Amino acid sequence: MRWLKSECADSYYQVKPECKDVPATRFKIKPGRTLSVRKWLAAFSPNGQLDIRKTLKRIHRGGIHPSIRGEVWEFLLGCYDPMSTFDKRKQIREHRRAQYVRWKKECSEMFPVDGRGKCITSPVITEDRNAKSTEIVTGNGPLDMKVTKWLLTLHQIGLDVTRTDRNLVFYEKQENLSKLWDILSVYAWIDIDVGYCQGMSDLCSPMIILLEHEADAFWCFERLMRRLRENFRCTETSIGVVTQLGHLATVTQVIHPKLHQHFETLGGGHYLFAVRMLMVLFRREFSF
Amino acid sequence: MSFQKRTLLKVILLGDSGYVHMKFSQQYKATIGADFVTKELQIDDRNVTLQIWDTAGQERFQSLGVAFYRGADCCVLVYDVNVSKSFDNLDNWHEEFLKQVIIMLIWFPIFISCQANPTDPRTFPFILLGNKIDLDGGNSRAVSEKKAKDWCVSKENMPYFETSAKEDINVDAAFHCISKNALENEREQDIYFQGIPDVVTQTEQKSGCAC
Repeated sequence: MRWLKSECADSYYQVKPECKDVPATRFKIKPGRTLSVRKWLAAFSPNGQLDIRKTLKRIHRGGIHPSIRGEVWEFLLGCYDPMSTFDKRKQIREHRRAQYVRWKKECSEMFPVDGRGKCITSPVITEDRNAKSTEIVTGNGPLDMKVTKWLLTLHQIGLDVTRTDRNLVFYEKQENLSKLWDILSVYAWIDIDVGYCQGMSDLCSPMIILLEHEADAFWCFERLMRRLRENFRCTETSIGVVTQLGHLATVTQVIHPKLHQHFETLGGGHYLFAVRMLMVLFRREFSF
Repeated sequence: MSFQKRTLLKVILLGDSGYVHMKFSQQYKATIGADFVTKELQIDDRNVTLQIWDTAGQERFQSLGVAFYRGADCCVLVYDVNVSKSFDNLDNWHEEFLKQVIIMLIWFPIFISCQANPTDPRTFPFILLGNKIDLDGGNSRAVSEKKAKDWCVSKENMPYFETSAKEDINVDAAFHCISKNALENEREQDIYFQGIPDVVTQTEQKSGCAC
């Protein structure tokens, strides 16, 4: 397929007509510069090894064509080693999909995360570990700490799922909302330290749009979180992103003292205005 | 670009976020960390910009505490007139704020200007808003106006307003009062909106990133 002139990428991620406050994309598909399907396929050796250097160079110059963004991201996020073969990746993919199914089953045994789009929005247990909802399978004894912690975060996921990327036509479909809910709740279970924190739904949503298979989307999200999870981690007195805010302040102070001074005066202190930008990688500022 | 002198006031909203939604825009998106909106007002002959800060609903963001409270000129406590618990928790929010002011005094004494004179936190300007009075035509009300007013009297006569952010009832009057109270406690800080934007424009021109 060839594109004769620059094509705007907006149409790939259709926005609801009533949403007027969505930033327009500046990304354009440019023939000869953007990584196209043809160039992408040509970047693999016969047994499936990817010429990552050439690919990155092209991506840097012209971006990725939206139709292949998902599979390219899998490499960029580090899900697969570019030097691996087709066979090896197929094997890993199957293994990971099976693992995801197992975790999802574990979750649904504790609380029915059943993929039919049931989103809970109020706590299912109380802080003192008494079940509020009849759907919780408690067995006979009291719930253990890990299970309690997980159950306590569930309603927050439910509250946020219905508020994530609501401007996209994609999320009018109930099954897509369900995927978001399922992936976030499974992730909260396997990374109990971080669990679920507001902002994570913004990061997870693009994966679901770009990767058709729910398990593949999960693993992309999991990879992304390896890099970002520290920001969401929390102690009694601090939340991870504060460290990064400190770095931002230090860098700005050195490269642009006047701007730093301006932020200190206007920003209410500690670069708090940048919390969201850093936590969700500018997802609220830029189009998708 | 305006060359007019403006006064900037930092206002922070506190309350049970599960019940209270005092958002002014982007209501359909979750707040991450802390977020602010600005509102421009004219108080007598002064142009005032209110920088209104709100924290996210999730509890773990409470640990942004000190940074969030720093430099506040006024603290707005909000509860939902339809939810008793949100009223009962006002004492906690009030105490939490005063506690943070004291932490600031200990850790960042040099950053604190004359506002929020923490040697006597009781003089700090607070205001109470009873929100969502529009709900169910007022039939689902759980906290009476008298109860709220009595509470305000016990807190150094804190001003009280009953509002509906949704129906835009009394919101302007409330913000007018917030500004007036904060101005009385004002720090000497004026903002000029020229200067910095020029520099930003230069940077924008340099970057050719199209992603």
